[in-house]
Amino acid sequence: MLTFVIRRILILIPMLILISFMIFGGLELTPGDAVSQMLSPEIAGTISAEELDALREKFGLNASFLERYWIWLSNVMQGNFGYSLASGVAITDVFFDRLPATLELATLALFFSSIFGIALGTMAALRRGSLADGSLTVAGMLGVSIPEFFFALVSLLIFALNLNWLPVGGRLLPGYESFWDRAPHLVMPVMVMSLMMTAGVMRYARSAMLDSMSKEFMRTARSKGLPEWRVNFLHGFRTALTPVIVLIGFRLPTLIGGTVIIEQVFQWPGVGNEFVQAVRGQDYPLVMMIALFSVSAMLVASLIIDVLTALIDPRVRLG
Amino acid sequence: MEHTTALSVKDLKTYFYTNSRCNKAIDGVSFDIKKGKTLCIVGESGCGKSVTASSIMQLLPTLSRIEAGSSITYHADNGDVEIQGLERNGTKMRNLRGAEIAMIFQDPMTALNPVYTVGYQIGEILQYHTDLNKKQIREKTISLLADMGIPLPEKRVDEYPHNYSGGMRQRAMIAMAMACSPKILIADEPTTALDVTIQAQIFELMDKLKKEHGTAIMLITHDMGVVAELADDVAVMYMGKIVEAGSIDEVLRTPKHPYTQALLSSIPVLGRGKNQDIKAIRGSTPDPYDRPKGCQFEPRCDFATEACGTYPDEEQATPTHRVSCWNYKEVDQNG
Amino acid sequence: MANAYLNRKFDKMRAAEEAGQLKSKGGGRALRKMLNNRLAVAGLIIFGIIFFAAVFAPLLTQYDPGKIDLRARLQPPSWEHIFGTDATGRDIFARVIFGGRISILVGLGSALMAAAVGVAIGAYTGYKGGWADMVALRISEIVTSFPQIILVLMIVTILGQSLGNLILIFVLTGWGQTYRLVRARMLSVREEEYVQALQSFGLGTFRVCYKHMLPNALGPVMVNVTLTTAAFILTEAGLSFLGLGVPSNIPTWGNILIAANDLRVLQNNWWIWLPVGGVISLFVLSVNFIGDGLRDSTDSSVQG
Repeated sequence: MLTFVIRRILILIPMLILISFMIFGGLELTPGDAVSQMLSPEIAGTISAEELDALREKFGLNASFLERYWIWLSNVMQGNFGYSLASGVAITDVFFDRLPATLELATLALFFSSIFGIALGTMAALRRGSLADGSLTVAGMLGVSIPEFFFALVSLLIFALNLNWLPVGGRLLPGYESFWDRAPHLVMPVMVMSLMMTAGVMRYARSAMLDSMSKEFMRTARSKGLPEWRVNFLHGFRTALTPVIVLIGFRLPTLIGGTVIIEQVFQWPGVGNEFVQAVRGQDYPLVMMIALFSVSAMLVASLIIDVLTALIDPRVRLG
Repeated sequence: MEHTTALSVKDLKTYFYTNSRCNKAIDGVSFDIKKGKTLCIVGESGCGKSVTASSIMQLLPTLSRIEAGSSITYHADNGDVEIQGLERNGTKMRNLRGAEIAMIFQDPMTALNPVYTVGYQIGEILQYHTDLNKKQIREKTISLLADMGIPLPEKRVDEYPHNYSGGMRQRAMIAMAMACSPKILIADEPTTALDVTIQAQIFELMDKLKKEHGTAIMLITHDMGVVAELADDVAVMYMGKIVEAGSIDEVLRTPKHPYTQALLSSIPVLGRGKNQDIKAIRGSTPDPYDRPKGCQFEPRCDFATEACGTYPDEEQATPTHRVSCWNYKEVDQNG
Repeated sequence: MANAYLNRKFDKMRAAEEAGQLKSKGGGRALRKMLNNRLAVAGLIIFGIIFFAAVFAPLLTQYDPGKIDLRARLQPPSWEHIFGTDATGRDIFARVIFGGRISILVGLGSALMAAAVGVAIGAYTGYKGGWADMVALRISEIVTSFPQIILVLMIVTILGQSLGNLILIFVLTGWGQTYRLVRARMLSVREEEYVQALQSFGLGTFRVCYKHMLPNALGPVMVNVTLTTAAFILTEAGLSFLGLGVPSNIPTWGNILIAANDLRVLQNNWWIWLPVGGVISLFVLSVNFIGDGLRDSTDSSVQG
């Protein structure tokens, strides 16, 4: 098991390096250069031309692409992500400020959609061909076909504007102290994100379960005289779980991508919202670093998923 | 009266209802499985042999059913049980499965669940049919594996199916099937997926079980060589019907159905040399949805006559040897 | 025994079979299953309607989608303006069907091109293996690890925002899925004996790879194209809604919805945003139905 984890981490490292290379390349392609973006605005504002040139020399603007890359990379590893062009704030500070909001949305959405998706999908597979199965299938298809932001707008209209049950947007208002104070703000964004993702998970769960139920070992289990519930759950469901978890892992990038749009509609102060503003304002360092961060997070997440599946499925440990 | 028959099947019809068609997979099949004896059901792929096994265990797919008029009678110690009348996955049927009637399948790699250890899967059957506690189950499992000839069973019991070799997997499956000492063991082509040398070992094992436990064995195969080795009784199936049945001596030495004869002629015999006369059966098996009227073998038969337009009655050539052919006497003389 | 409903159904089927009424129809199994799948047929119809409405847009409306008419602002649907008008008096129906042209072009067009790229690379590297295979695989893994919107926006920031760029970026970011699919197929087919036979006949790489092995993968590839189309249409809509997709002077379904950001419009002028959202949903839904139908008919393991 341990060797499996180590092997996976070893594969991860070159990929991270490759990605950082891509991001660095992206930074170089945009106006301005990676190095001067490492300077905080206070310094950049007060620095003289000679000092700037000296710094450039020191940071190696005149050095080769690889040397600059190395300098940039070591900065990043030490936590210096550079500064936002628009606000001058250190990008790491931006992350710390915004990340909790996005994490809230993402983890809650992931949690609800996994549980409901797997439960509903399994139920649909067990009652294949029934009315429940048919309606869940159609509901699932609707869920993956309706654009997230459209669904968000509709719920905004219904729940916030017309019914006035929930606030229109934002995350915090002055005077909030506990989690429950701001919970109403969480409801709609989480609901919208969860519903869309649940539809996808449900479809996977259903097809994985159907696939598992048609396997030979199901017949063997029945031939042993085991009750149907045990055959369906301990044999069918358990074996179907691996591909479902893997597929949920594949959908994680989509989940994070979803936060970008949802945070816009609900004015949620998260990383996604920040990203959109950065793109609009051509704030290159911020755009690149958020991109770097998001893909690194996804790679780490897929590593965790791999380990998780290896724990529950011995076949995975071989590969 | 002490029955020597463990299971009696009379006029079994199992029809499949898929793709909006009705496929008469088995259309009136009768045989007996006797205690301590092996009945081999032999025939080509698609003739319905596996369906027979699934029908007995009531493991048929959802879109199929055992038709009215069929009778599968299990002669238990405390009375007869009409299997076709039991609810498919109901308590009574499930009590029979594993404990009284057990089955082993063709491909042990796909028949065993890859995410559970072998010990767990064998333990399940003990858990549900016996009152043994966890420790006793584990001990019994290890001794079962040892009985089936698996080396180092204490270690193997915690391994997964993919850690086993093909032959070992099949032994593990047999261990699982025999765990509760069932009266009847159904083996559905148990060695088709294995090497010939391993095949021999598996059959030796099954023979041993038969002698030691008095188990009634129903062995399904398409390989006449296997039949010659193991069978006490044979039933030859073609297109969902039994065309000939009897003791092994009778059927192999004096086959009375053209199909049986053709099957036997198409096997090369070790020792006869390379110029021996091997005849392939001309034609091919008909489309199950577009069957010939009357005898199903008629289009491919060298002995066909006009009478073959209606399905032959079953006749007793001897008290133990039955055949469904109008012209069996002629066939017998030419055999 | 099995439930009563199934029993009755079986009795009917048996009677019909014995009466000789059921005979095989021609036309092949795939087509038959497809037509039997009513959802897929419905999908085809809806897709067709929207597609042809977009293609024949100029014939269907006399209004210019970009023409501003301040005297006819914010009018609800009427006989003159089927979907009403927006804040600057533009006819919404015209904008929707003309917008459809761009959205479908970006969505379907990019999906087809991305599939072509994925198939070409996947077939080749899957067959050949080795160094090229490893590099392509790692790159495709990285590309699919990125949340697509973030990757697209990152490249938009570098390359700038235009219709052509958007299509290019979609193809660049979307080939990975099809590539992985085709590669997996090639890997499994490669070991089959008929490939070795073809190689021993001296057939060149190109022929073995593209002419003989590839047809095996086509079923799943077609299904994948439908999924990718759906995904691209949704992504383009999202991007344009943010104002970062197709430049806003060209109407697409996404940027028509920008108006709904204004809460007053959201509440009072439903015709500006609701029909567009509905059209996007219907189109993607139809594509998904078709994809499911394709999957059911090309997958031989489905019972029934």
